[in-house]
Amino acid sequence: MEKFRANVMLCAGTGCVASGTGKVREALQAELVKRGLQDEIKIVLTGCNGYCAEGPVLSVFPDEIFYQKVTVEEVPKLVEEHFLKGRPYEKLMFREPEKKTAIPLMKDIPFFKHQVLRVLRNKGLIDPEKIEEYIVRDGYQAMAKALTQMTQQDIIKVVKDSGLRGRGGAGFPTGLKWEFASKVQSDIKYMLCNGDEGDPGAFMDRSVMEADPHSVIEGMIIGAKAIGAHHGFIYVRAEYPLAVKRLQLAINQATEMGLLGKNILDTGFDFHLEIYLGAGAFVCGEETALMRSLEGKRGMPRPRPPFPAHKGLWDKPSVLNNVETLAQIAPIILHGSEWYRSLGTEKSSGTKVFALTGAVNNVGLVEVPMGIPLRTIIYDIGGGIRKGRKYKAVQLGGPSGGCIPEHLLDTPVTYEDIVATGAIVGSGGMVVMDDNTCMVGTARFFLEFTADESCGKCTPCRVGTKILLDMLTDITEGKGKEEDIETLQDLGRDIIASSLCGLGQTAPNPVLTTIRYFKEEYESHIRDKWCKAGVCRKLTTFWIDEKMCKGCGACLRACPSKAIIGEKKKPHKIIQEVCVHCRTCYEACKFKSIDILPAGADENTAAAFAAGKGTKEKGDA
Amino acid sequence: MLGEPKILVVDDELVVIKSAERVLKSEGYQVEGALGGREAIMKLGQDNFDLVFTDLKMPEVDGITLIRWIKKTKPSVGIVIITGYPSQDTIKEALELGIIDYVPKPFTPSVLLDVTERAVEWIKGKAPEEKKVQEEFPPAMEAELERVIREFRQKPGSLIPVLQRAQEIVGYLPPIVQKKISQGLNIPVAEVHSVVSFYSFFTMKPRGDHNIRVCLGTACYVKGIEGVVSKIRDTLKIDVGETTENRKFSLEGVRCLGACGLAPVMVIDQETFGAMTPKKALEIIGRYDAAYVSSASAEQAGELAEKEG
Repeated sequence: MEKFRANVMLCAGTGCVASGTGKVREALQAELVKRGLQDEIKIVLTGCNGYCAEGPVLSVFPDEIFYQKVTVEEVPKLVEEHFLKGRPYEKLMFREPEKKTAIPLMKDIPFFKHQVLRVLRNKGLIDPEKIEEYIVRDGYQAMAKALTQMTQQDIIKVVKDSGLRGRGGAGFPTGLKWEFASKVQSDIKYMLCNGDEGDPGAFMDRSVMEADPHSVIEGMIIGAKAIGAHHGFIYVRAEYPLAVKRLQLAINQATEMGLLGKNILDTGFDFHLEIYLGAGAFVCGEETALMRSLEGKRGMPRPRPPFPAHKGLWDKPSVLNNVETLAQIAPIILHGSEWYRSLGTEKSSGTKVFALTGAVNNVGLVEVPMGIPLRTIIYDIGGGIRKGRKYKAVQLGGPSGGCIPEHLLDTPVTYEDIVATGAIVGSGGMVVMDDNTCMVGTARFFLEFTADESCGKCTPCRVGTKILLDMLTDITEGKGKEEDIETLQDLGRDIIASSLCGLGQTAPNPVLTTIRYFKEEYESHIRDKWCKAGVCRKLTTFWIDEKMCKGCGACLRACPSKAIIGEKKKPHKIIQEVCVHCRTCYEACKFKSIDILPAGADENTAAAFAAGKGTKEKGDA
Repeated sequence: MLGEPKILVVDDELVVIKSAERVLKSEGYQVEGALGGREAIMKLGQDNFDLVFTDLKMPEVDGITLIRWIKKTKPSVGIVIITGYPSQDTIKEALELGIIDYVPKPFTPSVLLDVTERAVEWIKGKAPEEKKVQEEFPPAMEAELERVIREFRQKPGSLIPVLQRAQEIVGYLPPIVQKKISQGLNIPVAEVHSVVSFYSFFTMKPRGDHNIRVCLGTACYVKGIEGVVSKIRDTLKIDVGETTENRKFSLEGVRCLGACGLAPVMVIDQETFGAMTPKKALEIIGRYDAAYVSSASAEQAGELAEKEG
C-alpha cells in the first residue's frame, strides 16, 4: 500500500454533497497537484460525519484537525497553510459562538465532545466504498468469531445479556426476537433489515448505510447465524440513492471476498443478501407491513399473532431488525455484553443515535449514552436555541411521538422515561422548536402526515385521523369550538385503543401531548382567535409598536405585498387591509417592534397589549 | 401528413441505404438517402420528412448528435435507429432522447417493413396534437418493458421492482403500462393498480422535464418549507403533485429526504439544495429554465399589483 504523509477525510454524505463536496474535492485535488503534493496527501471521501449543517466538513489525519464550511475559494489558502507551511488554518475552524477562539481538534468541539461513538464508530474514518478500510477497523472480526467459535445459543445469549433493544422505535429486546425465531423449525428462514427510514426528522439510518454499510451487513450475517437463516433482504427507501449504491457495492465486495454467499470463510455457513427498494409508504416501517411489501403487495399490517418469528415473509419465520440495531451487533460480539452495558441504564443500555434538528445552533447526528438528560443534548451538544430565541418544545419520535416542554428537559433519555412524558424515543428524530412555533399547527402538521399515510385497513385510524386533522384545521382557522379539546382527546384515545399497528396506536400522540403541555395555546386559538406565535394566518394581526419602531425601513423593504408605509426614522405602520400575514416583517425587524395580536385587532387592542408588555417587562426586571 | 409517408435513411454505408430504399419503395413509401449525419441535417433542412431511419456509429456527425438536432429543430419528425450494436446503453440513451423504435443490423426486409409500419402508425396517432397525454408509448419502450417483465417473471414478489423499472422507462405508469405488466406477470390488473395507488413513489401522471421535490419533513416544516412551497406553487401555477402545462416542471412533496441538517431542502432531479428560502428556490429553478420562470414570476407580480389596485 502507498504511504501518504496525511489523509484528508472529506465528508461525502448527502448533506455535505449538497453543500458542495464535489467541487471542493476537485479544487483540493487540483491545488495539491499544483503544489506537487499529490503523492504526499491523499483525499478520502468518507460517509456522513453527522455535522451536516456546517458542511462541507473535512478532517486531516494524523493531526485530527477539523475544518468546516470549506469553500472552493478557501482551498488554495488551506493547502498552503496546512500542508506547505504546516500550520493549521484557523479561518475554517470551529468557533464557539460567544468566545471567538478557534477550536482545532474535533474531539474538543462541543458538538462532538459529549458523544460516544459505537454505532457511528467508523464515521469519517473510512472510505465506505472500500471493504479493506472497514476490515482494518476490526471489520468482520465479530462475524468470524460468531461463525467459528460461537453456537447459535452463544450469540443469542450475548445479545440478550447486552440488553440491546430495537432502535427502530418500539424498543423490543433484540436477543429475545432472535431467540424466538431460532427455536422455530423451518426449512427456510429470513433475516431482514429495515432501512425504510420514514420518520420525518430522522436520518441516522441513512447516515449509517452511507458511512458504514459493512457494519449493517456484518450484523445481518451474525443475526442470520443466530436464527439459522440463509437468505436476507435489506429494505431501503428509494429516496436514498447514495445509501443504495454503497450497500450494493458493499455486498458485491463482501461476496467477492467470500464474506457473503456460499460457505462463508469455509465454515459451511451460507448467507445470500439482496437489496429491495421500497416505494414510499410510511406504514412499511411496521414489520408485518414491510414483509407484505417485500412480497410485492400493498404494505398493510396484519394482526399478530402469528408473530413474524413464526410466520413472516412468505409465511416463513423471519426476523426484522433496524439498521442502527444491526450496526451495534459486531462490537457487542467482539467486546461482550458487559462492555455494552457499561453505558446507559439498567433497562436502556448502550448508546442511541439522535438526529438533532430544528431550531438549535448545532444540527446533525449525535450518538450519546442512553440515560443522559434531554437538556445535555439540546444545550451542550446542540449549543442551545438558534438566534438566542426561547426554547418551546422538543419533538421526539416523529409522527408517533410527542412534544416535550421545558419543565421536562431534565428527563433522562431512556425508553421508559420518554414514554412517561407521552412521547416515544422512536427512531431518534429530535426536532427542537422555539417560540416561533405554533403547537396547534405542529399537531396539525403531524396529523396531516398520518392521515395521509394511514394504510386504510383499520377504520378508526383511516377515518379517525382525518377527523382529528379536520378539527385541528378548523382550530387553526378560527373555527374551533370550546368542546373541541375534549373531543380531540376522547377520539385520540379511541384511535389508540382500536388500531392494529403502531401507526394508528401512536398517531394521536402529537395531539395528546400538545394538549397536555400546551393547552393554553389551544384555548387562545379557540377563545381569543389568537395564535401567539404568529403562524396561523387567520388568527394573527401584525402590529407595529410605534414606541419601539426606529423607522429603519427593514420591514418596509421586506414586505412582499407592500402593506407597510412610513418615512425614514419615523414609526412605520401596517395597512391591515393589505397585509397577507406572511410574518416576513416580523422576521425582518431587529428591534422587536412588531407585535403579534389576535385576529381583527385594532388600536385599542394594540394599546392594551403594549401596556401589558410594559408591565411584564418591568415585572421581569 | 399528406399522402405516403416520406422517409430519410441515414447511414455511412451506401449499401445499407440502397437496400433499405429498395425494400421501402416496393411498399410505396417515398424514400431518400443521406450518407452520414451532416448530409442528413442538410436534407432535413431543405425538405419535410415524416420519419428518419439512422445509424448510430457514423464518422463526424454521429447518430446521437443527429437525433439531438432533430429533437430540437424538427420535433415532429419520428426517429428509428438502425444499429449493429443494440447494447443496453446505446438503446437507453437513444430512448431517453425519444426515438420510436430500432432495427438491428443486419435486417431482413420483413423486419424493416414491420418496424416502418408501426412507426408510421405511431406518428399518425401522435400528430397533430403532440402535447396531448399519450395513451400509447413507442415500440422501443415497449420492447424494453417486455425485457424487464421477462427478467422478473420467474421471481416471486417482483411486482414492485417491475413497476419501479417501468416508471424509469416510461416516466410514469399510465393504465396501458399497468395492463401490460398485469398480463406479463400474470397478476390481476386490479392488484397492479392497488399497488400503484398505494405507494407514493408511483405516479400515474406524466412528470415534467425537471422534477422538483420539496421535503415535507418536520425539520423542514419548522424551518419554513411552507413559504418555499407556496412561492413555487404561485409562480409555476401548479399544485403539489402536478405538472406545468408545457411539461417543463413538476412539483412533488416528499416525506423527509433525510437531509434535515440542511433544512429546508429541495431536490431537483437528482441534485439536493439546502437552506432554501422562497427567493433562493426560485433562483435555482430559474437555472433550469430561465425564460419560463422569469415570465411566470413577472405574471405573478402583475397579478399582485392588480389585486392591490
